[in-house]
Amino acid sequence: MKILQIMKKIKWSGLLWLSILISSCSFFERDNYAEPDVTLEGEVVDVLTGDRVLTDQGGEGIRVRLTELSWGSNVEPNPDFYCMPDGSFKNTKLFAGNYHITIDGPFIPLVRKDASGKELADESLVMDLNGTQKVKFEVQPFLKVEWVDEPIVQNGKITAKVKVTRAVSPVDFKTKVEPMGNYSDDLLNVTDIQFFVSYSSTVGYRARDERWSSSLSYSGKDFDPLLGQTITIVSNGEIPEGRTVFIRAAARINFDTPIGTGTRRWNYNEAKEVLIN
Amino acid sequence: MKKLLIILALAGTMSLNSCVDLDIQPKNIVTDNELLSTPAGMDIYLARIYSMMPFEDFKYMGEWGFEYNGWLNSIGIEGTGEAVNRDGITTSFRGERTPYWGRAFETIRDANHLIENLPNYKDNFSEELYNHYLGEAYYIRATVFYTMAKRFGGIPLVTKLIQYPGSTEEMEVPRASEEETWDQILKDFDEAASLMMPKSPKVGYSNKYVALAFKSEAMLYAGSVAKYNQTVSGRLTGLGRKTGVRVIGFDDGTWESASKRYFTEAYKAARDIMKNGGYSLYKKKWSENDPEAQYQNMVDMFSDLSSPENIYVKEYIYPTSTHAFDAYNLPFTFRAPLSSGTCPTLDFIELFDGFDRYPDGSIRVTTGANNASGNYILYNNAADFFEKAEPRLRAYVIFPEDQFRGKQMEIRGGVYTGNTPIKPFFNNYSYSTADTRYQNLDIFSKSPKTLYLSPREGNSQEIVDYNGKQMTAAGAEGPFYDNGEATITGLYLRKWLNPSPDAEPGEGKSSQPFVLMRYAEVLLNAAEAAVELQLAGVASPDGSNLLQVASDAVNEIRERAGAIKLSSNITADITGRNIVRKERRKELAFEHKAKWDIRRWRVNHYEGRDGFWGENRDKNKFSNNENYRFRGLYPFFSTEEGKYFYDARFQWVSSKTFGYTPVDYYWEIPSAEVAKSEFIDQQPNR
Repeated sequence: MKILQIMKKIKWSGLLWLSILISSCSFFERDNYAEPDVTLEGEVVDVLTGDRVLTDQGGEGIRVRLTELSWGSNVEPNPDFYCMPDGSFKNTKLFAGNYHITIDGPFIPLVRKDASGKELADESLVMDLNGTQKVKFEVQPFLKVEWVDEPIVQNGKITAKVKVTRAVSPVDFKTKVEPMGNYSDDLLNVTDIQFFVSYSSTVGYRARDERWSSSLSYSGKDFDPLLGQTITIVSNGEIPEGRTVFIRAAARINFDTPIGTGTRRWNYNEAKEVLIN
Repeated sequence: MKKLLIILALAGTMSLNSCVDLDIQPKNIVTDNELLSTPAGMDIYLARIYSMMPFEDFKYMGEWGFEYNGWLNSIGIEGTGEAVNRDGITTSFRGERTPYWGRAFETIRDANHLIENLPNYKDNFSEELYNHYLGEAYYIRATVFYTMAKRFGGIPLVTKLIQYPGSTEEMEVPRASEEETWDQILKDFDEAASLMMPKSPKVGYSNKYVALAFKSEAMLYAGSVAKYNQTVSGRLTGLGRKTGVRVIGFDDGTWESASKRYFTEAYKAARDIMKNGGYSLYKKKWSENDPEAQYQNMVDMFSDLSSPENIYVKEYIYPTSTHAFDAYNLPFTFRAPLSSGTCPTLDFIELFDGFDRYPDGSIRVTTGANNASGNYILYNNAADFFEKAEPRLRAYVIFPEDQFRGKQMEIRGGVYTGNTPIKPFFNNYSYSTADTRYQNLDIFSKSPKTLYLSPREGNSQEIVDYNGKQMTAAGAEGPFYDNGEATITGLYLRKWLNPSPDAEPGEGKSSQPFVLMRYAEVLLNAAEAAVELQLAGVASPDGSNLLQVASDAVNEIRERAGAIKLSSNITADITGRNIVRKERRKELAFEHKAKWDIRRWRVNHYEGRDGFWGENRDKNKFSNNENYRFRGLYPFFSTEEGKYFYDARFQWVSSKTFGYTPVDYYWEIPSAEVAKSEFIDQQPNR
């Protein structure tokens, strides 16, 4: 009997203490900060043709970096996110504020600085974001990759034909990149063509199947005469029959974006669905 | 009751009146007067700093950083290829969970405090001892700066005691350029070496040659970074956004002279130790043409505290200061409470002499031109495969059927009951098929079944009748395809483990010392710096013949290791440089050195990965254009012949892939440090 009473006392005093503790940290106050309800939609297009710049969704695709400047000068960027494979991006959970928006991908950098850090050009955006906002980046992609004909399937191997052309002229590239320092004509060399195969429709570098994806490598200026030519590429291994796979090709030049990251990003063509039979 | 309270309150107020100004030093606070005035006080002051020094030993894990505990400690599993581990702790060295930043500045402050305040007590010590203590402070600061520079590039060079509180200008120190940082490290090591005694005044203290040895290591790092940054796209340099300082990499105009300067200093420091240090390679049990003695010699040397090779050793004493390296890394049947945390890879043992090879240099397991063709070579005993293996390798790695703690290690991947000769199990051994494993083979899963494998130990073992007896598919030591607690590569680590059968198992029971710096590394530092200097066309700093010094150093190490000596002197080209690099990869394996070497050589990212092993190896054999993997060497038993054969296959159990991009050569500065300061720059390429 006594023990029960003591237990009751402990219970009550415990509750009392809890309420004292809670009340001291504005527990009952409403969090009145506006929820992140701003939506930013964007697309990345080729300035010459107006076509979307296709990419892969992941660290090697087109990176979108937002920095909320409302906090003052010493701010760190928001966590990065990446474009969707079709070259568009969308973020529906942003706080309203003043933002710096920039993208990095397989195109001439938007923000260009010389070797001493002096700014040469800045095509990034600074804008107030509220409600739903749309932005469009017009860029100069390095390469354009296109399918030629339909792929052929034989004995579990896919044979596809692609054409790679320059989307930015070497002269334009040099004019814009040379002032950034360390320029060499070798930066323009096409180094490899990738042929990605996957069961996933978001096929690309990140969602490829190692067993079947293949690639062609080129050293030095070896690829230059092949620009605009039809290139045949064959998948690796043997893909089991009876299912569809998705394929995509990508090519890149010997230039990393942003400079110093060592990440050389690919330009892609659109994914194709192929039935293996 | 009330009265009592009033009386008490009155008494209280009256007693307050009696207080006078308190200007007596409290007895429970230890001040400079006690600490810096006697050798005993200095012991305490330095011991405290030493306990927080960034030593990479049994209490350090690459993935986690300096957390000063030995939990799950394994060595060489940081994507160096030396070994792999079953858990997520085996991953590329792209950063540490606990970045070495805040704690570093506490240690720097302790060193700076000593530098600024010890002069007040100069008369209390002999000049030699006073100088030595001052030298310790510079040595500590150099070590901390060096530890940070390897990770981050340019760092805030706090070289004086900052008063707190103070103004922003006094308290905020921005990151210096990478070149200034290495110059400061050079200066501090030089200062330390000139002040400290040639022999440590006490066990555990540093000395002149310790400072010189780490100086040569640090300068080799600096020289390599300056030179090999150039081989990475974008030259791996950039200016800080807030300060405009070149916080990573080198200026296009200065990298070459900086690289030469650092290699020269590395060479000079190493040569000074070679000429005047009085150290030598450990050869107590060594004897010529006796592989067994050479092997035993190299097993013993890591636990012999009287070794003339030891320059700097972190000692442990049972039961007060212990670690748990044995508990996490012993072979499976010794587990207490864990086991086999460090499983050496086939790619690693391929560095060593004493194996038959294919034309491309990889270890031969079949009669064909590569491991996918021909028939498996059969051996009467699994151990026969390693009959001629380099004694040094045997001292580092436990082979199947070799002895450990008086017990034969029964390592077997499975049993094959099919006919002989046996064709390779897979028709494709390339990187892209690495995820196809033995248990996916038809000969295992379908009828007729000819391959027997075990998912786990004990009752889970598959049993095969052989010669009227029952034989378990996997050996007692594994590998088991569903249990990564046994070996996952077919090999076990021997180095550092207590070889005594009487050793008590368990965590906190181990007290082997960790050798942080030994003479073999000094020889290799001299050799590498020599070749780099010759390659850069720099004259020998001390008039010695650079390539002769390099060749002699390599030969001295090879002789002790029982390896094949050089047939001719090292040449001043990439081949010559790679001879030294490869020797380093072999000799200093499992000593927390390789992960820094592949970093400073800039050979971890895809474009540079051909040089990953110190020698030239085709990267496409172990990597795709992003990730890389390592292979195991799995012994199988053929019941038909009663013999063993080996299969070389990408890691079968707990398979791991590793990744690395050029961004990882300079780690991220902790983002909170960047966000809260107007001066601290993030890496410009992030």
